[in-house]
Amino acid sequence: MTTDPLLELEGITKRFGEVVANDDISFSVDRGEVHALLGENGAGKSTLMNILYGLYSPSSGTIRLNGDPQTFEAPKDAIDAGIGMVHQHFMLIPRMTVLENIVLGEREHTATGDGIVDRFKRIFGRDRAGPRERLSELAEQYGLAVDPSEKVWELDVGEQQRVEILKALYRDIDLLILDEPTAVLTPTESEQLFETISTLVDEGLTVIFITHKLWEIERLADRVTVLRNGKRIETVETDGVSRSDLAEMMVGREVLFDIDKARVPTGETVLSASGLQARDDRGLEAIAGVDLTVEASEIVGIAGVSGNGQRELAECLIGYRPLEAGQIELDGKNLTGAAPRTIIDSGVSFIPEDRYAHGCAEELSVMHNAGVKIYRNGELDSSRLFLDYDGLESYADKLVDRFDVRGVTDVNRTPAGTLSGGNLQKLILGRELSRAPRLLVANQPTRGVDVGAIEHIREQLVEQQQDGTGVVLISEDLDEILDLSDRVLVMYDGEFVHETTPAETNKWELGVYMSTGAAPAADDQLISEAQ
Amino acid sequence: MIPEVTVTNREDVPQWLSYGAPLGTILAALLVASVPLLWLNINPIWVYWELFVSQPTTVSGFADVVRTALPLFFAGLAVYLPLKAGLWNIGAEGQLFVGAVVGAAIALHVELPSLLLIPLMLVAAGIAGALYGAIPGYLRAEHDVNEIISSLMLTFTATTFTGYLLRGPLQGSSGQSATDRLPDAAQLPSVLTPRLHVGVGLIVVVALASYILLNHTRLGYEIVFIGSNPAAATQAGISTYKIYITVFVLGGLLAGIAGIVEVAGVHGRLFEDFSPGYGFTAVAVALLGRNGVGQVLLAALFFGVLTAGGTTIAVTQNVPSALIDVIVALTILFLLTAEFVKDHRINIAWRGSDPEAASQTGGSP
Repeated sequence: MTTDPLLELEGITKRFGEVVANDDISFSVDRGEVHALLGENGAGKSTLMNILYGLYSPSSGTIRLNGDPQTFEAPKDAIDAGIGMVHQHFMLIPRMTVLENIVLGEREHTATGDGIVDRFKRIFGRDRAGPRERLSELAEQYGLAVDPSEKVWELDVGEQQRVEILKALYRDIDLLILDEPTAVLTPTESEQLFETISTLVDEGLTVIFITHKLWEIERLADRVTVLRNGKRIETVETDGVSRSDLAEMMVGREVLFDIDKARVPTGETVLSASGLQARDDRGLEAIAGVDLTVEASEIVGIAGVSGNGQRELAECLIGYRPLEAGQIELDGKNLTGAAPRTIIDSGVSFIPEDRYAHGCAEELSVMHNAGVKIYRNGELDSSRLFLDYDGLESYADKLVDRFDVRGVTDVNRTPAGTLSGGNLQKLILGRELSRAPRLLVANQPTRGVDVGAIEHIREQLVEQQQDGTGVVLISEDLDEILDLSDRVLVMYDGEFVHETTPAETNKWELGVYMSTGAAPAADDQLISEAQ
Repeated sequence: MIPEVTVTNREDVPQWLSYGAPLGTILAALLVASVPLLWLNINPIWVYWELFVSQPTTVSGFADVVRTALPLFFAGLAVYLPLKAGLWNIGAEGQLFVGAVVGAAIALHVELPSLLLIPLMLVAAGIAGALYGAIPGYLRAEHDVNEIISSLMLTFTATTFTGYLLRGPLQGSSGQSATDRLPDAAQLPSVLTPRLHVGVGLIVVVALASYILLNHTRLGYEIVFIGSNPAAATQAGISTYKIYITVFVLGGLLAGIAGIVEVAGVHGRLFEDFSPGYGFTAVAVALLGRNGVGQVLLAALFFGVLTAGGTTIAVTQNVPSALIDVIVALTILFLLTAEFVKDHRINIAWRGSDPEAASQTGGSP
């Protein structure tokens, strides 16, 4: 096999103090391939790509592009060398138009005269017609339809990502790095992205694709490099490798994909909410009359594209967000309008969507964060006034141990904010589950978490259900919804538009409900079945 | 040679730095303060020696320091406790005034033996300060009114209203804007030396109580958690409403007590300028000592040294007292940098003067 390496990394090492984020990583990327970079959170994928993009400089090692060694002092150098990157969090300015965002930093004016007006034009002016023409050429060439004069804030997430890709392409790149591009997309949008990537490769680009979703690699990549704990484990052709092999390389041990979920009979009604209405932070209607019942030992999955009222619903259920209308009963007790404290004391646990902003106090120790749901229940100190910090410390130690929270040197010293996403989530999960709640409201419990932690978290959720807890599972991950739920509801624009069970539905159908709020059209159904 | 300064965020702050930074900034402030001293032909080493060694080691000098540190410590805690919950109490001065007025009014109008009168004054002054502090706390908790502005404005209200009272209902027979001398029963007795009053015993009590509150109680846990992330705290069932009011009440209580102790222990009467801005210096005290109650006490003693020693030097050695204010101001100013130095890693690299390197740094926009 002839190889034509576009990019070669040789012995890249990056240290942050004593932490080795990348340890002697070498691999090469061939011209015209889609090369996936797979690894758990904290495996060093993003660090490596930030080195490649000139955001960090490596402690040692060489980057070669077309055989020539490169030193990138800043992203500008990487861009000049033909490397573009689309970050997970978009770097766009919402108030500006698509075109303005794309030409940002590339202002040029074609005026050539020596007259004073032309000179001023070159210094201060911005050529509008030229870039617009070039942008529409690019958009056509790569099949990325966007309206150049639309403001970025008016675009949906998929369109914003297209703008990011166009922004990179506008700078004449050969190599495009995509950092977890599907994390924010719906299944339909992801599918569009994959088509775009195929077009890019057909047009001669090379793509590096960071992910921890295994099926995306099978779907898209030619080769995959697996990183674990900052080291390169292997680079393999995707054709000859199975999903479980990849998972094992990534995690370092065998991973179970199918959660062993014995169906337990559901019990009495735990949560009964009716006619819930609430507003979002901007004061707009976010949930518009929602009914929800959850029985003991039942997992109710709520699928939906985020921003359709799921977060507000979850916050209403725990009393954090005021209700405009409706009623909430827990075990037959009316908790409408109750304070979060009352609801917690009635046995409701909560896993928030944003674990750093809402799930923990980042500067405080793991101990402080582990104890926030039990510090006042009398377990640690029976007086109402005092708190036994030694007891709290050993409680936190046990929790860290039992829920496999890694990265904690001293529960009393390690700030919760320094834990990786997956480990913080395990800490929050441990804190919420060890109280044996009646109802668990889990909003996106595994989003942005690596495969090993996902497995752990899902197992814990199921175990909790078997023990009689009713679970509201809000997720965008349809595999998760279908694997774990007993009943599935689809949320769209603040309402439940569809109710079904995992046995009666499939990802495609849920995806259509999620993105349109309505049932698939009959002829689409036929196409889907034919596939 | 071109210096290239790069500033990056520290991922974690080493232990030595979190304690060393405030100390280092004080030294830096003293270094800069020596410039005007030198300009006035005053030997800075001599001034600092007098200020930090000679004066505080005499009995009367030490008594002055402790006596001055008391209102600074109490008012410092009045800022520090809300700060722990993430709020800024800029109104300690006002709460101090309210406590002084109410305590002085009781001293002048209630006839009781000392053993009953003094506790009554302290309690009444504390309650008055607490209620006055509760206003910005309540406005923040209930209506989300910015507590920095409300507490500051209420300070002006309190000091101005005190001025009115001292020229009206509370005016003494001297005709100045001051009360009569408080009756002997209301004067705090002195201990050890005539310059020290029994009130200083309160320093130990308050320091211990505050330490226990923050480190061993449920309430302290809730205060610290809210201070770190109010949204997470609320979702965990901690009521910001309750805590916001509580910290302001506790702060006002301490500031109010400090007010009457200053009047009954030091001046013997209430007059308009009885506080040289203790409640404002308190903000600096709380910031300097933000790592714990013990550090707040140390910071109060430090400012006590500056204020008490400064007055003595100004009087006896003819050093302009404004220069002492300069040192205090520079310390506060440098404190702001301490926070930055602590959280950032600053590297200075000297680049060679070869044109290639120079163009590389200069080239990027």
